[in-house]
Amino acid sequence: MEKKYWQSLESYREMQKEQLSGSTEPIAEFSIEGLDESEIKGKSSRRDFLKMLGFSVSAVALASSCQTPIRKAIPLLNQPEDLIPGVPNFYASTFFDGTDYCSILVKTRENRPIKIEGNELSPLTKRGTIARVQASVLNLYDDARLRNPYKNGNEAEWETIDKEIIQQLGGMAQEGKQVVLLTSTIISPTTRKLISRFQEVYPNVSWVTYDEVSASAIRKANSLNFNRDIIPFYRFDKAKIIVGFNADFLGNWLLPVTFSKQFSSGRKLFKGDHEMSRLYMFESAMSLTGSNADYRTAIKPSEEELLLMSLYNEIAKAMGESPTYEVPKHGFDIGKAAKDLLNNQGSSLVVSGSNSTNTQLIVNAINQLLGNYGNTIDLNRPVFLKQGDEERMQKLVADMNGDQIDGLLMYNVNPAYNYPDAAAFTNGLEKVSLKVSFAETMDETALLCDYVCTASNYLESWDDAEAVKGYLSITQPALRPIFNTRQFQDSLLKWSGSKQKYSSYLEDNWKELLAANAETGNLNKRWARIKQDGIYNIGIEENEPPAFISKGLKTPAANRPGLELVLYEKISIGSGKYTNNPWLLEMPDPITTATWDNYACISPRFAAEHDLHHEDVVKINGQLELPVLVQPGQAYGTVCIALGYGRTAAGKAGNNIGKNVFGLMNVKNSQFQLSGQEISIEKVGGKTYPLALTQMHHTMEGRPIARETTLKDYIKNPSSGNEKERFNEENNSTLYQKVNYDGIQWGMTIDLTSCTGCANCVIACQAENNVVVIGKEQVRNRRIMHWMRIDRYYSEDFENPEVFHMPTLCQHCDNAPCENVCPVAAVTHSTEGLNQTAYNRCIGTRYCINNCPYKVRRFNWFSYVNNDEFDYNLNSDLGKLVLNPDVIVRQRGVVEKCTLCVQRLQEKKLTAKAENRPLRDNEVIVACQQSCPTDAISFGNLKNKNSEVSQQQQEERSYHLLGHLHTLPSTTYLTKVRNKES
Amino acid sequence: MINNGFVFKKPLRYNVFLKNGLLIFFFFITSFSFGQTAEAEAHFAVCKACHTIGSGKLVGPDLQGVTERRDEAWLIKFIQNSTAVIQSGDPVAVKVFEENNRIPMPPNNLTDDQIRNLLLYIKNGGKLGGAESATEKAAADTVVQTAAETMLVAEKKQKDAQNRYLVFIVLSVVIGISLFDMLISRIIKARWIHTIIILIAVTVIGEIVFIESAALGRQQYYQPEQPIWFSHKVHAGQNEIDCKYCHFTVDESLHAGIPPVNVCMNCHRLVKQGKQTGTKEIEKIYLALEQNKPIEWIKVHNLPDHVYFNHAQHVKVGKVDCRDCHGEVEKMDEIIQVEDLSMGWCIECHRSREIQFASNKFYEQYTRLHEEISSGKASRVTVQMIGGDECQKCHY
Repeated sequence: MEKKYWQSLESYREMQKEQLSGSTEPIAEFSIEGLDESEIKGKSSRRDFLKMLGFSVSAVALASSCQTPIRKAIPLLNQPEDLIPGVPNFYASTFFDGTDYCSILVKTRENRPIKIEGNELSPLTKRGTIARVQASVLNLYDDARLRNPYKNGNEAEWETIDKEIIQQLGGMAQEGKQVVLLTSTIISPTTRKLISRFQEVYPNVSWVTYDEVSASAIRKANSLNFNRDIIPFYRFDKAKIIVGFNADFLGNWLLPVTFSKQFSSGRKLFKGDHEMSRLYMFESAMSLTGSNADYRTAIKPSEEELLLMSLYNEIAKAMGESPTYEVPKHGFDIGKAAKDLLNNQGSSLVVSGSNSTNTQLIVNAINQLLGNYGNTIDLNRPVFLKQGDEERMQKLVADMNGDQIDGLLMYNVNPAYNYPDAAAFTNGLEKVSLKVSFAETMDETALLCDYVCTASNYLESWDDAEAVKGYLSITQPALRPIFNTRQFQDSLLKWSGSKQKYSSYLEDNWKELLAANAETGNLNKRWARIKQDGIYNIGIEENEPPAFISKGLKTPAANRPGLELVLYEKISIGSGKYTNNPWLLEMPDPITTATWDNYACISPRFAAEHDLHHEDVVKINGQLELPVLVQPGQAYGTVCIALGYGRTAAGKAGNNIGKNVFGLMNVKNSQFQLSGQEISIEKVGGKTYPLALTQMHHTMEGRPIARETTLKDYIKNPSSGNEKERFNEENNSTLYQKVNYDGIQWGMTIDLTSCTGCANCVIACQAENNVVVIGKEQVRNRRIMHWMRIDRYYSEDFENPEVFHMPTLCQHCDNAPCENVCPVAAVTHSTEGLNQTAYNRCIGTRYCINNCPYKVRRFNWFSYVNNDEFDYNLNSDLGKLVLNPDVIVRQRGVVEKCTLCVQRLQEKKLTAKAENRPLRDNEVIVACQQSCPTDAISFGNLKNKNSEVSQQQQEERSYHLLGHLHTLPSTTYLTKVRNKES
Repeated sequence: MINNGFVFKKPLRYNVFLKNGLLIFFFFITSFSFGQTAEAEAHFAVCKACHTIGSGKLVGPDLQGVTERRDEAWLIKFIQNSTAVIQSGDPVAVKVFEENNRIPMPPNNLTDDQIRNLLLYIKNGGKLGGAESATEKAAADTVVQTAAETMLVAEKKQKDAQNRYLVFIVLSVVIGISLFDMLISRIIKARWIHTIIILIAVTVIGEIVFIESAALGRQQYYQPEQPIWFSHKVHAGQNEIDCKYCHFTVDESLHAGIPPVNVCMNCHRLVKQGKQTGTKEIEKIYLALEQNKPIEWIKVHNLPDHVYFNHAQHVKVGKVDCRDCHGEVEKMDEIIQVEDLSMGWCIECHRSREIQFASNKFYEQYTRLHEEISSGKASRVTVQMIGGDECQKCHY
């Protein structure tokens, strides 16, 4: 029988009802929430109308008689050779915010960064990015950024601040008082060197690293098993069987871009490919990785160790290894995963996201049994991310409270917000006499500091980075600091008595490094080349993995009956550094499709048992009130809540959104764990809280849109699961003539097997095409403006569904239903196959929206620019600098949608014409395709039969969305293949 | 008489005839070397920034008679890389260098043959032949003399617009009088006369209203006063500086580019006095440099925000002459917007203008059009035929 897909619980219930009654009842009436009575009924009278008419006529008359404003053209006084107004420049740089790493290119127009692209040369991130990297350019133009350094809450001069701090630091050094430099993880070799130099000048300074979401258990386990305090480099591309335990490696865990690239490269199925990796996922909350798993099991956090132990036992038993351990009973079958792992020894991988050393020791033991070290786990290339040490952090807070610390310098950390016991931290901070913050904005911690030495944005700074050993990259400024700010490293240099700028310090250090690395020739030239490429790779010794020191494993305790909490980082805002970024706040979560809030996810069974419904408010531990979101796939008996919300000093967009749950973190054996703590929840009677989900307003009403098959069936018949397409093709006939293009027909293919639904493309499109942010209330009114959305469908099991992510954008139909209903011919078809909307011709009838079967057209209900009702980034001069000057900002009352990045098409066509040559395949790269971390999208000229996109559209898996409507889209999808037995 | 879009009150029939006649004559005799000479002319556009032929010293020496003064081999060497020749200690080169304020001539990547052609071009006085140059010069002088009396077509049209306002008012009065007579005074008894008068007047007024309202927001004949009285007539007209010398990004960017002050200074480091304004205007450049403040020019040609226009597309790829849109800039002192820059005007050109279909390899992929051309079904390929009149070519 055909699989039935459902998008939400409501539609699932409708489906059940339909099956039972056999009738097709209409779904509950469309409601417009958030509008008040008068708006719905409309209360303007005839007199109001006449008044308005009179006013507008006179206003038009007045406006037309006015003089046209004088526009100026101001050239540069002295134009540098490499700056051509109107032509973008790209600077290779590196994104690192303390957690995520990405090698990037910064696109600047007239020296103004407007877009981030992935760096193709990077061996780690290979042109991919994640949504947070894409959105980071908006942080540069954040109104919350401080414009000057601050002293005791007042703006101050750098000279005064430097003088006073140097004096105080000097005094403390003489008296031997303890000063602590508290930073996030620092992966820059040069900054690390600089910090040790700073410590030489001030020997009383000790350095503590703190990550709000820690991975110290992995390092600890490796130091026990291998005597190496490192996080190894995982190779998901080499693994045929991957078993994950709460490790969201496609979303947030360690190197999501790198791991997405690796994972998808092992799952490409084009002509002749018959192999793909298989992913087992055992997790509590439905994560992005879990939603892409071939086999997913929902488990409680306390069951993780049990299952790992059983897995270890099964493998050890099969291999005749000892010892095996006693495992308390649990109701899960791990045999299938164990069998697959045993069949793929040396090409399998077991990972866990847990921050408990014991759990990681079991994981290491399993990987050791399977011989994965040296194959899928590279100990020669440690990952330098997540160097935080919670033990030292906890000791620091205790020392602060015990009056032991006299000075605290904080860079890129915000413990007043995200330390589990924030009150202890703030109390302790009061007892510190010199409190310095290097924040970019006046965040929760900076507010409590004496001095805020305002740091520059990363797009204004110099630095380097080594996320994985041997793979170095450079951070270079794409523009001069906009405000009176100074990067952290320059402050350190100044305070250690150096006159050098950090840029030249970095250059000197790199020349030393190059010389030490036996680089010959002109070092200046070499350095210039590195700045151009953005990356530098150092060969490392490929040693055999060190001897495994077997450690006795602790037998895990039996699973607990209580309700357990799971904290997680959202794909959009991460752990809270981007809570003031409106793009990310409005990005629908790939799983829940919720925007703007955090909430308590519970499983459907739990909800039914406790009479909880979507948007009901519950009290967690009797303190924290949060709305409920019923999430299929959530483990029964768990509640999952996103970190990063509830900030009080983030800025205008992010303040007081959601609740801060860092206080609920599980501190166990002095390790900060995200899950496992037992909590209680109770329903707050009669109270609901509206959530803005984009889930129900793009329903496709059960048509065969999501097509999938299993690897087994695919090998037998490549068009399995896609039989309908052949049927459609054979049976579709039309009276109309088919459009016959000459030269160019743009087309796109989206490989659903590769797509993980990470929503990087959504933000990339938003940045490229000036898509506006409309706020929670308007999202609830089903008016979200994204040109690219990720549809998410559920199928099969109610409690643990299979998930289907489907990027949906304008399909650019050859037989477009939107075109022939426009009364003013604003929607037309181009000779290159584009379905084009002329905004200035559009009068806003919205017939096209109505007639589009894909529901990809968007209407501007309001003027979102220069409108203080929409207080995000487009009502301030600073925020508007992020706009792409090649794309117009649409006004109120017009319809917009995906243009296939027509500005990029035109640009590349022009380049080819100017160079007097044909257009090359893959020369035009559209925004969603460019930074896709899984290379799921291909784009090009369908008229060129050898182009990648033409080849892919010939695949047996290729199908048109709603092809039976004979819309003849230029976009096709490739069937999702799951690596399942049946 | 209208010549090249300009109205000359005093006809230049004789000179123009002579000039054109001579041009045709010389075209015939020099046709075998015309291609080379045209190339030389293009090369000389670079030299023109610092040198003249017979009009006196600019930055570098006057090149009139340079082929007699210097040996050809020496010239080739010197033009290719003057610095190398100077550094080799060549006495003549050093002397030239010292005489010209020690400003080095930038190296030119030209072959020996190209330079020989260039020298021939200079020897001929910068034109196709020596005999013609005198007449040419005379013609040019006449243009300068009559220029003061010329009036731009634009200004004439502006007058027309004023006439329209007058017609509008007069006709309104006529309607008023007719109505008054028809209803109250009744001097003319036959009412059909009133009706006809009113109908005609309303029709004409309607047309005027239509024309005027269509032009709302457009800025045809806009001629703002610029912060510096910069004359394109002096620069592009009399000194024949190539447009692209100052607007140098026109081939690469969507903006043609307003020249930065460092471009002005290439010449005005030495040219400190103008013939018409003395030092008054030129000093503003030095002031800008001194104060480190860019010059705030007023933008004349403005397009609405929802229009994407790319200069490189038109100038580099489409080989559209600057004059086609900007008018005869070399005859304007201060820039005036000649065309109305309306969408109808754009489309009209896109419908009629031929693209570089055969010569540009980009168009190879248009197989159907190529077939139509070879089979004779189509005689030429216009911008419209490859989608040049579609909305999203300019609006996105």
